[in-house]
Amino acid sequence: MGLQVKGLDHHMGGAKILDQVSLTVEEGQFVGLIGPNGCGKTTLLKNIYKAYKPRREAVFIGGKDVTDLSAREMAREIAVMAQENPVGFDVEVLDMVLFGRYAHRRFLEGTKKADVELCRSFLREVGLEGYEQRSYLSLSGGEKQRVLLARALVQESKLIVLDEPTNHLDVRFQYQIMETLKKQKITVFASIHDLNIAAMYCDRMILMDRGRIVRNGTPEEVITEEMIGAVFKVGAQVTVNPVTGKRQVYYLPGIHAKDRCEKER
Amino acid sequence: MEVKKSKQEHVQEGAQDRRQERVQDRTQESAQDRRQESAGPAQEPVQAHLQDCIRSRAGYGLLLAAICVLILLAAFFSVSVGAVDVDPASIFKIIVDRALGKEIFARAWEERTETIIWSIRFPRVIMAFIVGAGLSVCGVLMQALTKNPLADPYVLGISSGASTGAVCAIILGWFPFMGGYATIFGATLGAVLAILLSMGIATARGRITSSQLVLAGIATSALFSALTNLVIYGCHTGSDKTKTAQYWMIGSLSGADWGTTRYVAVVFVVALLIVLLFVRDLDVLLLGDDVAESLGVETGRIKGVIVLLATLLTGVVVSVSGVIGFIGLVVPHMVRALVGSKHLRLLPATVLAGGLATMLADVVSRVVMAPEELPIGIIAALIGAPFFLYLIKTGKRR
Repeated sequence: MGLQVKGLDHHMGGAKILDQVSLTVEEGQFVGLIGPNGCGKTTLLKNIYKAYKPRREAVFIGGKDVTDLSAREMAREIAVMAQENPVGFDVEVLDMVLFGRYAHRRFLEGTKKADVELCRSFLREVGLEGYEQRSYLSLSGGEKQRVLLARALVQESKLIVLDEPTNHLDVRFQYQIMETLKKQKITVFASIHDLNIAAMYCDRMILMDRGRIVRNGTPEEVITEEMIGAVFKVGAQVTVNPVTGKRQVYYLPGIHAKDRCEKER
Repeated sequence: MEVKKSKQEHVQEGAQDRRQERVQDRTQESAQDRRQESAGPAQEPVQAHLQDCIRSRAGYGLLLAAICVLILLAAFFSVSVGAVDVDPASIFKIIVDRALGKEIFARAWEERTETIIWSIRFPRVIMAFIVGAGLSVCGVLMQALTKNPLADPYVLGISSGASTGAVCAIILGWFPFMGGYATIFGATLGAVLAILLSMGIATARGRITSSQLVLAGIATSALFSALTNLVIYGCHTGSDKTKTAQYWMIGSLSGADWGTTRYVAVVFVVALLIVLLFVRDLDVLLLGDDVAESLGVETGRIKGVIVLLATLLTGVVVSVSGVIGFIGLVVPHMVRALVGSKHLRLLPATVLAGGLATMLADVVSRVVMAPEELPIGIIAALIGAPFFLYLIKTGKRR
């Protein structure tokens, strides 16, 4: 079932941001969404989690049209970790994570012990044990990001959508977040900036350029020197990492594939 | 010129929204910075310790109990202050007798004294409490609605609308069919019109964003203020009426009697009970509309409830007391700093603290220029504004 998008368009201020986008994310897969800045990744994701209103019959989660789902039903189907969450009011970390259980609580129902335990265990999972009583605003960018990941995970939905979850993080936490995600038994659809990280974790990758999907396949099919040159406008060398067996990208700015061939000769 | 501007606006719509958001972010960030910078090294541990204490359940209970004691003291003091001196024992006896409807204590006071205590001063104390509590609760609601800790109950232009309505009733003699309640009726009507207008402006583009709400409120306020001034300066109907109107616009509790107090009390209690049903939704709403929606909150519905309740409550409060400023801004701020932003904790403490603050302001307004009485709005702003500046300076908000 997973996630299905069929012929999705999106216009903003007269410009066409998304142009007939169709894709399928199979249940249980880890799918990466890549593409240069401004290609429509965030807009696509926002249409999927209804921050923008998609038209009917365009986005389906678990076979259901998202426009038919209430906010509460949506929250049980899909968890979201957006790029940032600027908050003007202070919240304790544990409370912030507990907000993820909102859709699972009935009207006027108190905080369940099981919910608190779940939140604590996910805080442990993202490496924030002992942060429960800290104030969210006092955390560093990376810590905030991990709190938000924990909040998305306690929603216990089958699908999680992430918009550049590793942004602003140093290397260790980039990989920690991806490892945490990979361990969960859920469908993941994430936009990812770093092609090496994407190649390492994704089962499939979807490449967008100027509002369209231009390639959809395994990392081996998508990450090629020609693609990086054509879409990202940077020369690159793609090899297979001998340790991981995954694609490895080296960027060679200013050197086009053609020149390189000549040089090597 | 006009046409050109609107065209430009249309084109830049998206960009403008983004820019506004960024500006908002920046203000929030800088507020944070200031907070962190200015908390002096000596102050920090004491403050942190105090906040830790209050954050525990026992500490919170103690805080509420302490405010309650202060409220009782303030109430008693407030009832005993006035042109006619009454000894505390008699006050206590009168109130007990009348409240229980039985003659428990033998009457050893004049009829006149009883009237002053029971029918004039006592309802006024209750009214002060409810007005303050109501305004503070509305402050909390508007802050959740606009995600802006600087919002107050009047942010959507309710106060200006109510003023216009009241001034029309006072100076132009509108709504004669309401008799003695013409001012209250006019104020309520004005408040409703103002909120309809600002919500109308804010919803013009479909989705309501926080910044659109604030902007719509500013526009509405400006329009109704202009109308009010037009009525005051355009019609030379004698200085008495103008003075009454001005008095009303600054805010005053001098009109309190049991009738109006009961009316405000009922609305306040009903509104508060409904708000308490939605505390968890309010908590999540503080994270922003998109986030709240993705966590499962029907933001449209909860915002509707907030606007409805806050408008009703503010409208009713303003209709009986005029526009009392600052209470609805300073009190939620102070309480937030002490107990945090969780509404289940924030609201009860806000109700008590708002009530107390207004009772104190009322006493001061009656004492400083006795036997003349100052409008309470002047006192609220005179004490509230410097206090607010102090709060910003010391950055007590964690």
